[in-house]
Amino acid sequence: MNTAAAPSTSLLGTSAMLFEAPGETTLPTQQRIWALAREAETWPEVHEAVPGMNNLMLSFTRPPRTLDLLNARLHAAWSTIEPLALQGRVVELPVVYGGEGGPHINDVVAHTGLRIDEIVERHSAPLYPVYALGSHPGYCYLGGMDTRIATPRRKVPVLRIPGGAVSIGGTQTGVSASDGPSGWNTIGCTTMAFFDPARDPPALLQPGDSIRFRVEKVIR
Amino acid sequence: MSSLHAAQIEQIAAWLAATDIGLLELRGPGQMLLLRHDGAGVEVVDVVQTDGAAAPAAPVLHTVNAPSVGVFLHRHPLREDTLAAPGSAVRAGQALGLLQVGLLLLPVLAPADATVLELLVAHGTVVGYGTQLFALQGAAPHGPRT
Amino acid sequence: MIEILSTGALATVQDLGRAGALRWGVGTAGAMDPLALAAGNILLGNDEGAAGVEVPVFPFRVRFGADTALAITGADVDARLDEQPLLPWVAVQARAGQVLHLSLPRRGAVWPASRAYLCLAGGVDVPAVLGSRSTQLRGAFGGLDGRALRQGDTLRAGAADRQPLAGLGLVPPALAMPLQVDGLPAVRVLPAAEYTHYTEASRAAFWAEPWKITAQSDRYGYRLDGRPLEALAAIEMRSHGIVPGVIQVPPGGQPIVQMRDAQPSGGYPKLGTVIEADLWRLGQAPVGSRVRFVECDWDSALAALAETRRWLDEVHRLVGLQRLQRG
Repeated sequence: MNTAAAPSTSLLGTSAMLFEAPGETTLPTQQRIWALAREAETWPEVHEAVPGMNNLMLSFTRPPRTLDLLNARLHAAWSTIEPLALQGRVVELPVVYGGEGGPHINDVVAHTGLRIDEIVERHSAPLYPVYALGSHPGYCYLGGMDTRIATPRRKVPVLRIPGGAVSIGGTQTGVSASDGPSGWNTIGCTTMAFFDPARDPPALLQPGDSIRFRVEKVIR
Repeated sequence: MSSLHAAQIEQIAAWLAATDIGLLELRGPGQMLLLRHDGAGVEVVDVVQTDGAAAPAAPVLHTVNAPSVGVFLHRHPLREDTLAAPGSAVRAGQALGLLQVGLLLLPVLAPADATVLELLVAHGTVVGYGTQLFALQGAAPHGPRT
Repeated sequence: MIEILSTGALATVQDLGRAGALRWGVGTAGAMDPLALAAGNILLGNDEGAAGVEVPVFPFRVRFGADTALAITGADVDARLDEQPLLPWVAVQARAGQVLHLSLPRRGAVWPASRAYLCLAGGVDVPAVLGSRSTQLRGAFGGLDGRALRQGDTLRAGAADRQPLAGLGLVPPALAMPLQVDGLPAVRVLPAAEYTHYTEASRAAFWAEPWKITAQSDRYGYRLDGRPLEALAAIEMRSHGIVPGVIQVPPGGQPIVQMRDAQPSGGYPKLGTVIEADLWRLGQAPVGSRVRFVECDWDSALAALAETRRWLDEVHRLVGLQRLQRG
């Protein structure tokens, strides 16, 4: 997190550079990150510009001999770049909250002091913009979760959470696109194919799209 | 050549000691004498006497030479065991040692099924093309020596 | 064509990794020791990036369905072709029907290593997915059906480009380009964004002390055991892109080095990143062994990358010369 007033850059070995926007995590900042990504992918040093949550990773085609020029270009671009207000699709996901598919919903109850119904209501109310893809194939980082249901990541991650698991980690929420480990609190499950390597593009969702969770059922 | 006895072998050995010949092999029907001269002395490596009725294939001496300039290795750099110790039996095509040329390792192969008589060059020695590396005693004559 | 007669867990088809798919949450995968795979490929006349089989658990046995040139690089695993012992890092011609047997990496070996690479002339021929033949385990695609190999699987080799140079070997890079500190294998690290968030004592200990690779280490990440690292204050992190080599520090203070199958993004603080040029060294370090970290700067890291590139170029050149000489 960049709490300074200015953006910061740092190295990820010789493979990539990380750019962090300052301040709170917001959608307008993310839209500027999208714009910066599009610009940076035209630069010869950059192989891929990969947005994160109000940050951007630039993977190198070949690491530049000196970093000064790239740093300067990055900061200059950020200072003038206009938000790229991507307007994508809205995808509605039917969610079964609680029960076997939501094994940690009671941990969210315990942490927030809210009842299951209140948690479900607050989780399913917003329209969640897709900020970025990452973590695993097809996984979407979403913005806009109600901070009242924020619950810290688990001390001990779960070894295997199935694809379709709807979870809360800190102030973020997301849906697993495939089976795998997770340190987040799983509150429900949905069915959706988020990634198909045979398709072009292989990911079903991209930055600019939005997700809405529709309450299919609540198991208390 | 009639059957050799100890005194004659001694005589031949004495004569060999006065030369700079390293290996002497004498063959006759039903007999074979192999002597090695290492500068310090002469050693009888083998004496074979048979009925002579059906003469066995006489043992053949092979010297194995370096296929190029390089550093001769008796063991692979990742291992500690010697590839072909004296006295060991080797098969045709088996790696007796390695020749390191820069980053490459070129195998030095046994030309025939044989017994290793002597390692003529120490591990880590820089050798030239044709440097003699091994003396082998083969079971039967084979094709061109390397 | 090869048939898997027996295998331990986690043997996978890998090439040098999948690039360009980070935007969809797809990490690189690829060989944990890319230098071994590339070198084996060069010996056999393949493109450096041809796919091979990464074998981390032994024994491992395959039968050849056709005459095939192969090379076993990486760890020395007492390879045998039928009864014939093979030397490591050497190209060999196998005949149809022969069985290749890989045993355990030797204890007390000159170079302690954990993964062997079976390279085939023509490379392992599986479909490329998103530009790579590497196995993407999470999401199950790439390699052979996106999973580890099982007994009974068959793998095809692509058409071999060039004549095999049977018997030709290489001095392994661990010997050609050694890197050790106090008798332990070492890897160089570039400090990352949160490096200064750690106490001076923690930072000093990170460089000065050995770190043990615990049994909870695999292609996703290496969990290290050593003095717990203390942050100056609690660090709030947002999800951000990461690469293999990133050293994360979760709340317990025991660092995790992200490896080839790591998620391409994370939310933990980062102390530093193992430089790309040294990832192969770490990828070979056995579970239970200890390593040292060496602080380096941008220029040294680039120099290290150039050194491995030069080594590969020299292997290309010398193997090419051999090919000319043999006619």
